[in-house]
Amino acid sequence: MSDAKIKKIRVGVASCGIAAGAEAVMDLLKKEAGAIPVEGTGCLGHCYAEPMVEVLLDNGESVIYRDVKADEKAVRNILSVGPENRFEIPPVRKAKELVKVLALAGRIDPTSFEDYVANGGYKGLEKALAMTSAEVIDEVKLSGLRGRGGGGFPTGNKWGFLAAKQADEKILICNADEGDPGAFMDRALMESAPHQVLEGMLIAAYATGATKLFIYCRAEYPMAIKHLKIAIAQIYEHKLNVVAGRELEIIIKEGAGAFVCGEETALIASLEGQRGTPRFRPPFPTDKGWMGYPSMINNVETFGNIPLILREGGAEFAKVGTEGSKGTKIFALAGDLKYPGLVEVPMGITLREIVFDIGGADPEKVKAVQTGGPSGGCIPVELFDTPVDYDSLKKLGAIMGSGGMIVIGKDRCMVETARYFLDFTHRESCGKCTFCRVGTTRMYETLERNVAGKGEMSDIELLENLGPKIRMGSLCGLGQTAPNPVLATLRYYRHEYEAHVRDHQCEALQCNALVDLKLDQSKCVKCKLCIKNCPVGAISDDFVIDNTKCTRCNTCLDMCPKKAIRRVKKGSN
Amino acid sequence: MSIEFVLDGRTVTAEPGQTILEVAKANGIYIPSLCREERISKTTSCFVCVVRDKKSGRFLPSCAAMPSPGQEVEVSSPEVLEMRRTALNLLLSEHSGDCEAPCTLACPAHANVEEYVRAGRKGEFLESLKIIKERIPLPMTIGRVCPRFCEKQCRRNVYGKPVAINEFKRLAADLYYDEYMEELPAETGKKVAIVGGGPAGLSTAYYLRRNGVAATIFEMMPRAGGMTRYGIPEYRLPKAILDRELAHYEKLGVKFVFGRKLGENLSIEELLKEFDAVVVAVGCWRASGMRCEGEELATPGIDFLRKVAENGNKLANPGKVIVVGGGNTAMDCVRTSVRLGSPEVHCFYRRTEAEMPAEKLEINEAREEGVIFDFLVAPVKVEKRGDKLVMTCRKMELGEPDASGRRKPVEVPGSDFEVEADTIIGAIGQGTIVPAGLPTNRFRNIEVQPGTMKISDRLYAAGDCVSGAATVVESVAGGRQAALEIVNALTGQELPVEHTVYVSRGKWQDLKKSDLVFLRDDVSEADREQLDFIPLEERKTTFREVTSTMSREKVMKEGQRCIECSCTDKHDCKLRKHAECNGCDPEAIKGARLPVSYDIRHPLIIQDRGKCIKCSTCVKICKEVVNKTLLSPKKRGFYTCVGTAFDKGFPASCSECGECIEACPVGALDWRIKK
Repeated sequence: MSDAKIKKIRVGVASCGIAAGAEAVMDLLKKEAGAIPVEGTGCLGHCYAEPMVEVLLDNGESVIYRDVKADEKAVRNILSVGPENRFEIPPVRKAKELVKVLALAGRIDPTSFEDYVANGGYKGLEKALAMTSAEVIDEVKLSGLRGRGGGGFPTGNKWGFLAAKQADEKILICNADEGDPGAFMDRALMESAPHQVLEGMLIAAYATGATKLFIYCRAEYPMAIKHLKIAIAQIYEHKLNVVAGRELEIIIKEGAGAFVCGEETALIASLEGQRGTPRFRPPFPTDKGWMGYPSMINNVETFGNIPLILREGGAEFAKVGTEGSKGTKIFALAGDLKYPGLVEVPMGITLREIVFDIGGADPEKVKAVQTGGPSGGCIPVELFDTPVDYDSLKKLGAIMGSGGMIVIGKDRCMVETARYFLDFTHRESCGKCTFCRVGTTRMYETLERNVAGKGEMSDIELLENLGPKIRMGSLCGLGQTAPNPVLATLRYYRHEYEAHVRDHQCEALQCNALVDLKLDQSKCVKCKLCIKNCPVGAISDDFVIDNTKCTRCNTCLDMCPKKAIRRVKKGSN
Repeated sequence: MSIEFVLDGRTVTAEPGQTILEVAKANGIYIPSLCREERISKTTSCFVCVVRDKKSGRFLPSCAAMPSPGQEVEVSSPEVLEMRRTALNLLLSEHSGDCEAPCTLACPAHANVEEYVRAGRKGEFLESLKIIKERIPLPMTIGRVCPRFCEKQCRRNVYGKPVAINEFKRLAADLYYDEYMEELPAETGKKVAIVGGGPAGLSTAYYLRRNGVAATIFEMMPRAGGMTRYGIPEYRLPKAILDRELAHYEKLGVKFVFGRKLGENLSIEELLKEFDAVVVAVGCWRASGMRCEGEELATPGIDFLRKVAENGNKLANPGKVIVVGGGNTAMDCVRTSVRLGSPEVHCFYRRTEAEMPAEKLEINEAREEGVIFDFLVAPVKVEKRGDKLVMTCRKMELGEPDASGRRKPVEVPGSDFEVEADTIIGAIGQGTIVPAGLPTNRFRNIEVQPGTMKISDRLYAAGDCVSGAATVVESVAGGRQAALEIVNALTGQELPVEHTVYVSRGKWQDLKKSDLVFLRDDVSEADREQLDFIPLEERKTTFREVTSTMSREKVMKEGQRCIECSCTDKHDCKLRKHAECNGCDPEAIKGARLPVSYDIRHPLIIQDRGKCIKCSTCVKICKEVVNKTLLSPKKRGFYTCVGTAFDKGFPASCSECGECIEACPVGALDWRIKK
């Protein structure tokens, strides 16, 4: 350890950090740190290592601590810049990731305007204001940026549509209704660098002539909303809301938690105070949006990219990525891997690199990855050399989506996985379109039957028949993509479906109705832990499991010190 | 500026702002839609109006999509029809309701049971009779002898006894049959010969005449009525009642020629020369043998009953009687034997009471009258010893279920025993004596072309001789069908199209009271009214009709017990109409139906959420046309529904304008009055 003094301490108190106990850590640090300032910061993206604390030294270096506990020992270790629990980004991850949009996340105080400005904030806006609005749009077009919400529509073109409109008022909407289960890219960005998103919006407002700016953010993100509100107040305070002589109004609208409100026409309906249901397009929002005014909707991450594009120039931005997909993309990694969390990577990186090198998943144990959340599809491990870009993923029956990426282990049943996603989408259908409302319910019921061992071969036909019709017969993205998890798993794992419906077997041994529990007498040490803990008394005194009583709760599996109890195919006992 | 585009190969013109659906309508091209109502903003919900953009292959809701110049749009390609059918099948798959009341569907003649019961409930029995006679041309007879298919499916079975439906027919006919005269159309000049004056022949004649076609019935017996006269005993159907019923046929102008029998003094060829069409309705007059040695010593059941009828219910005392068989004919034979003075009457049946095909009511009444039932017994041999008959019988036991689902009787070896009797009657079945030259099916009945009553050009058949021995109501249903087919063939007259789509809440056996939807809040909880019987002694010694017609008051009370299960919107439901036009099937896609949820807090309006298709038309009509906003969509996914604020029902501010009801494409919102 050098003789350097501690200049500042930062505690990661974004939602994930708080969930891991960061607030207690921060309170304790504040109490013990004396004159050293202790600040909250955003998310570093390493969920698996939370709570995290960064110690900034006066020699310019910094040390990050992981898994920090709110106790005296941990605090002493930190205040003495001790050797315990130091955090290092796994080197292989460091080599593969490219942190640009998230560069400030976890590095600044998100509630500090000055911190943002000191780190290059509002340089993009400044540069934009020095250009004509058409030049700004050209710069965005040049960058090749495509919508990060999942649709992948070229952002510059969309801006061009709105800019071309003549209207009393034009509307700009930031879609912050991040609804995919397990996805939290937008939340992290809003919580950790709210000004970055707002700067992107101000630039867009300048370029398109919009004067009313909405942020439609789900109410389940209280910290994001809080930080945005603070940032908006600071913008008003610094008069940054006046661009080219136009005064902009920035309004936060909290969504009530309907998945469908992430769809642009449903979102607009919700913003208008109507029930959040989609409508037929055309007219597109840029023609007729909020209250009939031309409106443009961009995703949080899209806006988050804009200041970088303006700062470094569209051409520079476009150096990263592939032919059709430029820049970086943030993914929320979850599922069966070692390092769940947020990761920002250049477009064109392969799935293999993300899942194994960055996520640390065990190549022996991975079966597939689900991209695009419940609207996406699975990609089997055999196709992991696919580059991650909009077009390549689409070809495989999956989608880029907003950035959710769920790693599926070999011990997961694909029929059950599809059922799990459909459970979400069929409940979240707004109920308007027949195909989406009833069709997804019928698909869900079919999958329920299949995992319960009550399926028939005709069920596969039904899924294959209804799936494409739901895609084609629904107004919005929810219905148009809801069958994806089923169709993709059917495409790559049809044999699993067949085994479920024909043989009533689950090869992954996940579906409880198709599994028995078996106790291997040769491994058993007669400790009786299983018998004592079985909630239904299904294990006899001579250590035989009665599978007619057993509820497959797996308590005995977890309790057994010798791993003598296994899940086996039903009837193979 | 108007544009041109192509709809199913036809170039059409669209004015600015017109949707594809509007252009199609203006050009007389059929595109069904459930959710488009022109006075409100687009809902684009049902997707029944899908069309396809030929170039991209994309499906578009035509109610919202505007055509582009030169665009080629498919309206009726196989892909579009398949997509449309699937949308309708999906809607049917969640639809929770009964298009038609189960009683009406159960009736072989599809008499509009709910409607005639409703008329009866209000005391309007002439109206009731008119409705009945639309489907049942022999209401006096059927009101007495029907095995009541309707009552067996009555949803009141869910909690208690079914509505006494048949009593409505009997009372309505007793009150108004003689008085009511149908309005008859002018005769078309076409004439049809009917061979056989039983229920099927009479029914054919009736519906022919009601459609302007003259009918002549050729009957082998001296009187008309067929088995209703020569089979059904007096105590169930008095001949005087039958005569009253048949007298009406003469008033209608139906001609009867008696004493003519096919193969003896009548031929089909001859009739075909003289008449425009011929209907064979000769019934089932061949008794099946007992299939045992000495069976000729036994009297065939139908012959026994015919002799009694021919002799004015006077026949020598048959002594000790054994009737072999478990059907309704067997019951007629045992009960007739009791009335003829037999000191001991037995019914031998080779299975148990549970498997007896006879009506439970008949079995119970026979038992009350002293008939002794011997189950699990089969005849092996009949012989004559002195002036007595001796029947050797074998005991049986029940084995595995057979094709009919009933458990099959299996002989018990070495269990033979003898019984003595004065008369043995075999009532184990009847068959058709198929007239020479007519095609025969595998059941040895007349073969007709599938789905019709037609044998060949101008030659038809109906009744028992087609179906095998059945009930009067089934015979009249067949007769009506034959008549309508003939009318259609002879006059080209368009006949009412039968519905093909019937959504059902399911069998009553699977339902609870909470699964039922009540349109009225005054459905009576009272027990079923009972029929009055004549004294038992009189039943055993005379042929007087066993029960008297139920009183007007009692029948009206029964009407109060009717739930009125059918859909309020059954006559103009768009979902059903389009489903029928597109060959849909409510069972095509299986899955959970919407939960039963309805609201009758408003005195005039019922909201039945189980039928809602979530098109929001009602919501928008109320908001955009009426300016009230009393309805709104709620919840998500499968359970999306439309409701009132805080689910408090229609508020006082509802002006009962009925716009939402008129706009509802289905029966989810309706007046609480049945048309």
